[in-house]
Amino acid sequence: MMTPKQRFTAALTHQKPDRLPVTTHHVMPYFLTKYMNGISNDQFFADLGIDPIRWLLAYQPDESKGEYYDPHHVPGYLEAHRVTSDTWRIEHEAIPDPRYETIRYKFITPKKTLTTVLQSNEYTSWVSERLVKEKSDIDIIAKFAVKPKCDVAEVNKQAAEFGERGMFRGFVNSFDVYGQPGCWQDASVLFGIEDLIMATFEDPDWVNSFLNVMLERKKVFIQSMKGAQYDVIELGGGDASSTVISPDIFDQFVAPYDSQLIQLAHEAGQRIVYHTCGGMMAFLERLADMKPDALETFTPESMGGDTILAEAKERIGERVCMIGGFDQFHYFKGCTTEETRKAVRKCFEEAGSGGGYILCPSDHFFDADIELLKAFADEAHKCVYQ
Amino acid sequence: MNEILESLQRCVERGKVNIKSPYPPDMKGQDGTDELARKALEAGIAPQDILSKALIVGMQKVGVRFRNKEIFVPDVLMAAKAMAAAMEHLKPFFKSDELKHKGTIVIGTVLGDLHDIGKKLVSMVIEGSGWEVVDLGTDVSPDKFLKAVDEHPGCVVGLSALLTTTMVNMEATVQHIKSKHPAVKVIIGGAPVTEEFAAKIGADYYSPDPQGAVEFLNTRCTPN
Repeated sequence: MMTPKQRFTAALTHQKPDRLPVTTHHVMPYFLTKYMNGISNDQFFADLGIDPIRWLLAYQPDESKGEYYDPHHVPGYLEAHRVTSDTWRIEHEAIPDPRYETIRYKFITPKKTLTTVLQSNEYTSWVSERLVKEKSDIDIIAKFAVKPKCDVAEVNKQAAEFGERGMFRGFVNSFDVYGQPGCWQDASVLFGIEDLIMATFEDPDWVNSFLNVMLERKKVFIQSMKGAQYDVIELGGGDASSTVISPDIFDQFVAPYDSQLIQLAHEAGQRIVYHTCGGMMAFLERLADMKPDALETFTPESMGGDTILAEAKERIGERVCMIGGFDQFHYFKGCTTEETRKAVRKCFEEAGSGGGYILCPSDHFFDADIELLKAFADEAHKCVYQ
Repeated sequence: MNEILESLQRCVERGKVNIKSPYPPDMKGQDGTDELARKALEAGIAPQDILSKALIVGMQKVGVRFRNKEIFVPDVLMAAKAMAAAMEHLKPFFKSDELKHKGTIVIGTVLGDLHDIGKKLVSMVIEGSGWEVVDLGTDVSPDKFLKAVDEHPGCVVGLSALLTTTMVNMEATVQHIKSKHPAVKVIIGGAPVTEEFAAKIGADYYSPDPQGAVEFLNTRCTPN
């Protein structure tokens, strides 16, 4: 029998594991608190029989460039300890709001202070005021934003501790405070997706300049990952799905940037999973052409995506590992265990053939019945490769 | 059909806003909806004809093509922008009652949900079909929806949600509205929403795409 790490690695490298690897995306703190008495991430996997993943993002300041860890920052869920400098200081203040925790962040530079507002509820966080308000703000970012590197020693320490227990995942660095791993997706968080789309029509040169600023920061991070013992690192994000953008925008503003990052990651010995929550079918070949090692989330139509899993397997299954495709909305809550098992079996039949598939919900989930999660894992254990 | 109206319709379909707009590249330097709507009025074409024979027809084609997955969200955004540029010229005729909307829809993303683009897309296509849209924005409480219904007698209500965690707030909103205005029709949409869910929460209609909402409004909702 394979260890979970061997099982994941086999799937990621297009080989047949002993059985269907079964995992999830992020395990949300909300879920652990509400449904599992606040147990740890590791305990979640152990209790439910799901193949474990552990996430880590670790930054290393470049002291020769005047960078240091932000002394006022306490890393939150999935966050690295923030890196700042005297010319890129980040301050925050709470804003009274009766409904949501609301925090204004100030990015203080010698030329201008940029601000953004983040709100949170028990489920998640979102941006309510965009950081990039004027087009020239990207010049401030280009000039003063620090370019954090990967803390390889910390990654390898935790990877060694995690050992054979499962898949050790990281991210390409997102923008400070709140962002996304992909260049386009990070820019959309900073400027707003609708405004960014319109800018591609009205001022494409500026959009390219913006994306280059994002690209340069990420390149530094990825190039510093050499030797980091991750199993896979995540790139992408939701705003490059076909339910948001067009093939033209993907070709002109997503692929040219993120494919560079994928190539650099490969040169640094890292595998990439490209995350696209939302529509994928219109972009499948385009996504595979960027040469990631894996793609996720393959959200089905029943959850607002457009994935037809069997067709996706046929079209790109030979080229990338597929992660996801499971409808957690309908089969983690409000159904019978038999229905959940049937849904697992269907995913395996449609995408599992020959390996190269990891069963996973289509992105994270907030609410679920424990018995259905157990059935999800148990049925996957029975999906054995010959 | 009149040549100006034909061009106007084509500009809506292609998202050509004005002569300065670099998009679409193959129409660079040509008049957009802004110039053509002005020229149509100057040529004595009735505002109603501009609206119904050019703008609405163009936007309807956009809605159908989007439903058929022939075009994508950015194409609809540009078409809507082109439509809006032409509508600026027609505003005075709405004020003077020479032009009338088919009805009013009050639309918003439900409480706890900050997603805007899907709701906005639906709003744009509905507006482009001749309806007045009152967009309440995102994270809209049931009380705010109810207040808007009070202020717009005879309106239809559109609810949007992108998250599985917030679609449950649709039910509370539907109940809140129907408890005071049982005859008000409520249409819902959003990524995780289904026809089955609509029936379960007492909504009148579910549409997976903007054009479906337009067709429901045009065929099953009595204009005010």
